[in-house]
Amino acid sequence: MVNVLKGVLVECDPAMKQFLLHLDEKLILGRKFILQELDEKHLFIASDIVETLQAKIDDLMDRISFPLHEKDN
Amino acid sequence: MSSKKGSSAASQVVHLECKNLHSYLKSQTQIISKLYEEPSICLAAYRDLPEIAKQFVIRMLCVEQPVPQAVVQSWGSQVYAKENLAACEALTELRIWTEASISGGLTAWDLTPSFKRNLKIAWLGGGRSWSMFNSVEQNDAKSRDISFLDNYAMSRWNCLLHYMVDSNASKGSEMEGISVDAVRIILHANLMNRNEQDGSYMLTSQGFQFLLMDTQSQVWHFMLQYLNTCEQRGLSLVDCLSMLFQLSFSTLGRDYSSEGLSENMQTFLQHLREFGLVYQRTRKERRFFPTRLALNFTTKNAIVPENIIENGNINNNINKLQQSDDTNYEKGYIIVETNYRVYAYTDSKLQISLLALFTELLYRFPNVTVGVITRDSIRQALRGGITSRQIISYLEQHAHPKMIANASTSSFKTTSFLPPTVIDQIKLWENERNRFSFIDGVVYNQFLSEADFMTLRDYAQSIDVLLWQNERTRTMVVKKTGHEDVKKFWKRYSKG
Repeated sequence: MVNVLKGVLVECDPAMKQFLLHLDEKLILGRKFILQELDEKHLFIASDIVETLQAKIDDLMDRISFPLHEKDN
Repeated sequence: MSSKKGSSAASQVVHLECKNLHSYLKSQTQIISKLYEEPSICLAAYRDLPEIAKQFVIRMLCVEQPVPQAVVQSWGSQVYAKENLAACEALTELRIWTEASISGGLTAWDLTPSFKRNLKIAWLGGGRSWSMFNSVEQNDAKSRDISFLDNYAMSRWNCLLHYMVDSNASKGSEMEGISVDAVRIILHANLMNRNEQDGSYMLTSQGFQFLLMDTQSQVWHFMLQYLNTCEQRGLSLVDCLSMLFQLSFSTLGRDYSSEGLSENMQTFLQHLREFGLVYQRTRKERRFFPTRLALNFTTKNAIVPENIIENGNINNNINKLQQSDDTNYEKGYIIVETNYRVYAYTDSKLQISLLALFTELLYRFPNVTVGVITRDSIRQALRGGITSRQIISYLEQHAHPKMIANASTSSFKTTSFLPPTVIDQIKLWENERNRFSFIDGVVYNQFLSEADFMTLRDYAQSIDVLLWQNERTRTMVVKKTGHEDVKKFWKRYSKG
């Protein structure tokens, strides 16, 4: 018997994968969305979550960046 | 990490498709025979042909019967067989000639009768005269010189471009607006799109690419979009094209009469007037002046692939000459410093607005504007669909001569005039948005035997739909598009 699941294959670096696992575990997006962990760079997730996820990532990147230069003299 | 792997979930950057005349005519398969009823279109199509194809047409123009293909082949040397073939292909694609069989079982080429007739008319005269060439009787006392026309054309065209970069800000300002029709074409061409939430217009990635093109390519692309929608406006595509080409064969600085034009063509003329392709003092006036924008309309080779440029060398050189004329007053004005500051030595509102798409403006003086490239400003541009490559190439294209000189004398050799830190950072800011790649797919797991797994995996690999696999866990991911095939294969396999 073969099990078949539809979804989206995500490829990312290991750090981002851990972040996704964290989001999944803590239900930060409101629910679990990881269908299967494949390896350290690949995950299989529900396709309807992608948009929310991308917004969340954008948010995160905003928080961990800092201005490189001063605007005023 | 590569991020654009054709996934439906990740947003895709659409590239602006720029057709040249050849591919445009080729795509008009339904009406191409009607187009060839107009001498001006025939002439334009002829001018756009590869040199060898032109030879073929001239040789066959006055032959009143099909010419055997073997004969056509013998006209060119064997050494250039490839070029000959390309020429034949071009003529077939444009339906300038068609295959015919003649007695003796030979296949022959036969010039399309309407093309033949109307090209003859274009060259040798006859037929009904081109309506706009009903020459004006007395010389206009208020004739315009060429520099006036150039200025007029550019100011009209810039008005259009300015609208694109700054549509929302310009509503209240003193700037001359553009008509509803022009806005509609911009939207149709997908150069801008409407924000659903606040109803404002936003420049698209294609729009940005459009703004980066040289004026002539812009006019060509824009007019093609106009022509795509002209039927909806009740204008005949054939008439409009014919008129455009007639304009492109006119003389700069001469005035022409609009007397004989039909009502529809009068409307078209008013549109051309708005875009700056013709100058007319008042709407009611019975004469108009074509501008350089209209004249350059068909001498268009800037964005064709290399191999076609080779064929159209002469055209291309002329093209370059005209362009160097055009871009004279548009030389570089941007200096980028390693601290992300951008100095733009310009007083053009258009250029400043363009810059404001991806920089944060700090100070504005009469001749210089100072801005800074920030993560936010770049991200805002990226969100609008503009790519880092486009931003960098824009900065490079408009680099101030001083910056170019500095880059060439500095001991630190780079491929660009821009500070490497800035280029890298812009790219990093883009990459940080693309830390994931999303590909729609289907997982197969829980195979009962290793052999089953291997068979299915190898099959998926052979039809090139395998995305990921692991033998140990017996799990594989295939593309969504390949799922049907793999499923069918599995059913067949498990039965047999």
